Amino acid sequence: MVDRRRFLAAAGAGATAGVAGCLGGNGGGDGGDDGTITLGAVYLLSGVGEQLGASSRAAVEVAVEEINENGGIMGREVETFFRDHGSDPQSQIRSLVQEEGADVMVGLTSSGVTLNSGEVIRQLGVPFTLTDIGTPFITESDTDTYGDYYQGNGTAAAVPNLFRTNANTSINCYAIAKWVDDNYGSARIANMGPDYAYGQQCWDYFKAYSDGLGVDHEYVASAFPELGANDMTPQINQVLDTDPDLLFTSFWGNDVVTFVGQANEQNLFEQVDDVFDTIGSDPSSFEALGDSMPEGLHYSGWYWGSAFDNEENEAFLDSYESTYEGTGVNPYPSFTGGSSYAAPYVYKQAIEAAGGTDPDDIVAEMEGLEFTGPRGTWTLDPDSHQATAPTVIGETSLDADVPYDGVGLVNAETYSLDRSAAEDLLSDSDLPPGV
Amino acid sequence: MSLRNRTRLLTEELRTAVRLLLEGAPVMVLPVVTALLLAMPVVLPGFHVSLLARTLLFAVFAAAFNLLYGYTGLLSFGHAMFVAAAGYSAAKVFNVVGPMLPFGGVTPLVTLLLAIVVGVAVAGIFAVLIGYLAVQLEEIYFALITLSFSMAIYTLANQDIPGQVLAAVGFGDGGFTNGSDGLAFFIGKVNLFGFEFRLVDLTNPVAFYVLTVFVFVFAVYGLWRVVNSPFGMVCKAIRENPERAKAVGVDVTYHRWMTFVISGLFSGLAGAMLVISGGGVDPQKHVYWTASAEPVVMSVIGGPLSFVGPIVGAFTYEYVRWGISRVPLLEEYWQFSFGMLILVVVLFFENGVAGGLEAGYARLRAWLPVAAKRYRADGWRGVLAFVGETVAGWLAAARETIQAYAARVRDGVRGYLVRVRELVGG
Repeated sequence: MVDRRRFLAAAGAGATAGVAGCLGGNGGGDGGDDGTITLGAVYLLSGVGEQLGASSRAAVEVAVEEINENGGIMGREVETFFRDHGSDPQSQIRSLVQEEGADVMVGLTSSGVTLNSGEVIRQLGVPFTLTDIGTPFITESDTDTYGDYYQGNGTAAAVPNLFRTNANTSINCYAIAKWVDDNYGSARIANMGPDYAYGQQCWDYFKAYSDGLGVDHEYVASAFPELGANDMTPQINQVLDTDPDLLFTSFWGNDVVTFVGQANEQNLFEQVDDVFDTIGSDPSSFEALGDSMPEGLHYSGWYWGSAFDNEENEAFLDSYESTYEGTGVNPYPSFTGGSSYAAPYVYKQAIEAAGGTDPDDIVAEMEGLEFTGPRGTWTLDPDSHQATAPTVIGETSLDADVPYDGVGLVNAETYSLDRSAAEDLLSDSDLPPGV
Repeated sequence: MSLRNRTRLLTEELRTAVRLLLEGAPVMVLPVVTALLLAMPVVLPGFHVSLLARTLLFAVFAAAFNLLYGYTGLLSFGHAMFVAAAGYSAAKVFNVVGPMLPFGGVTPLVTLLLAIVVGVAVAGIFAVLIGYLAVQLEEIYFALITLSFSMAIYTLANQDIPGQVLAAVGFGDGGFTNGSDGLAFFIGKVNLFGFEFRLVDLTNPVAFYVLTVFVFVFAVYGLWRVVNSPFGMVCKAIRENPERAKAVGVDVTYHRWMTFVISGLFSGLAGAMLVISGGGVDPQKHVYWTASAEPVVMSVIGGPLSFVGPIVGAFTYEYVRWGISRVPLLEEYWQFSFGMLILVVVLFFENGVAGGLEAGYARLRAWLPVAAKRYRADGWRGVLAFVGETVAGWLAAARETIQAYAARVRDGVRGYLVRVRELVGG
């Protein structure tokens, strides 16, 4: 039996030991004051999204290296920290800001994670630039019309310190709808995509924009294999049974490889006139498929090297290729290459204009910021925080000038979309423009 | 009092504190732990207060899981279903019920408490229904049926089937779980007697942390009472030998069902709190089988055969993961780094980290008198030599363990090679 006095003494000793232990183990938390500018990045660097996250990281690293070689930001070197989403992406974001002292943030490879991180990002207050995210909701600020996502009654989920440098699903699906309308007119169209919000959203936006454009398609089938599925044959056959003219798809990453491989086995490409994909223009997938990837399909993405003809683009492609040639990273930038490469430069421009790293000042400079880079000149919309940067649609071809074995895109065209046009086109649906 | 006497006294007090903690006398330990935990925000920066809160909630989740696993011998591989049930309910309370509540400045606080209560209740309903079906099976079949149920719930949430069903019968617009994006919610500011503060504030998470400490203490005390009651004794009897338990008159299936329900209620409590702290619930993070694996891994690392095992496991898991994230090279291959750690625990500790700590403590108790004897004989040099001998002994033991393991692997491979040769030769 332990008497009261002994217990209290023990309690006191325990408490002392505990407090002492904590004092000893707690040092960090204020990086960023040592003259460097800290850039935190969270991408999917493992699992199903690794290919996508890793190529975005590669482009960010090229930009940061160039910035540091040219005197950093206001003479201060840029230091980067990359983290995997892991099982708790919000905690990674917080750790980067609160422990590593990140001044600015880039990243995220999942729309769901982005939407659920909105409140965390808002409370942290540090500028955050999305480079890979499709969902239009996160750059929709009109809560009066579309309802507030964070009150559970709508789709407008804009966050005051959150920006996006890639063209989103809304712009992307508009581009494909417009291209189909211009080149094929009305057709029998089927859909395939990954079975989660992204796949569903792409198909919804494609149909809404097609309707808005006044083209009278017949939507004959829609099938959603699981994200990262091993076997898409049932869905491929389900779609082929309806005898479509065109197939709209929203696969990305390794799903592109799986889909094309199994569609080949079912002779899908001989039975349809054309296949479209939203963000399938990924050199890693094209290299993995080699010459089994059919030519003449129309693949889209937020960037493709040959779609832009300007000095900055040349320089980016050169420096990307020389950095990653002979490494495990494909030496041609992926569809997130342009947006990921732009983000550190946008921060450089905004921090230099703000004259420091005060988050509110950087955010104020970023609203309406005009940027010239590999994708030409575009601005960050002051209300939605969406870049007016274009999306790319091109034709798969083995003759494309790319530094790997496989198809690339040729005859690439770019599409942009402004808010009032988007609102007009989407007026019969309840989908937000997000631009 | 001489210095030596004072040191001895302090060591003794420390030893008493550790013993109390290890022997798990919560009536004594809990007030101390509570006071310690409540003092933490004074010394810890905001991020670490949140990390500690998250760890405490996972400790509750793992301890609740272990009631079924370590105490009753049923491995559930679907415990995330309770986090989901409680989490989605809590999100619905915030988004649907919260805006209708008429409590002025304290509405967010009332909403939060209501979200926890509703979350636990819904998790309990799931536990009653699914538990009844699941406990009809045991061993691997039990693991599989719990996995099946949780993955069914994952699919329901991920494809928003409840929304479609509701729309089909005329309710709502087809949205209920919001598919793979999940539900996000916003917790407003509380205004209490003129003080305005956020319940879940990232830069100053003390309010939510204090709530978490009380939830943790309440849950751990509750679970401790359960396992140390006659009910808990019957659990252990079932774990050791279900047939014999049945022979002495225990209704094994019913008892397992009740254990499942208790485990589900406490898991729901942890789940509701976890979801509230994150501001959102989504199928991938909270319902997928990887979410169900977390309490399993925590219990196994910590030591499922002791009450504090899962709690120690939750701390080990969360803080090792945090440590890895701070070292870029380890973070690059964090799953590998983490796997290595688990391998070490499995190879060298008999009952997880908690077992390792207990064994280490026992060894220390045997070691100290010997060290004292050497000090009396040879002074500090003697102690130093003894430390050297001890470390050498550890290294030898570690080498032996690894050699024994390697020998088993080698013999195994050799055996297969012999068999292959026989097959090919014959």
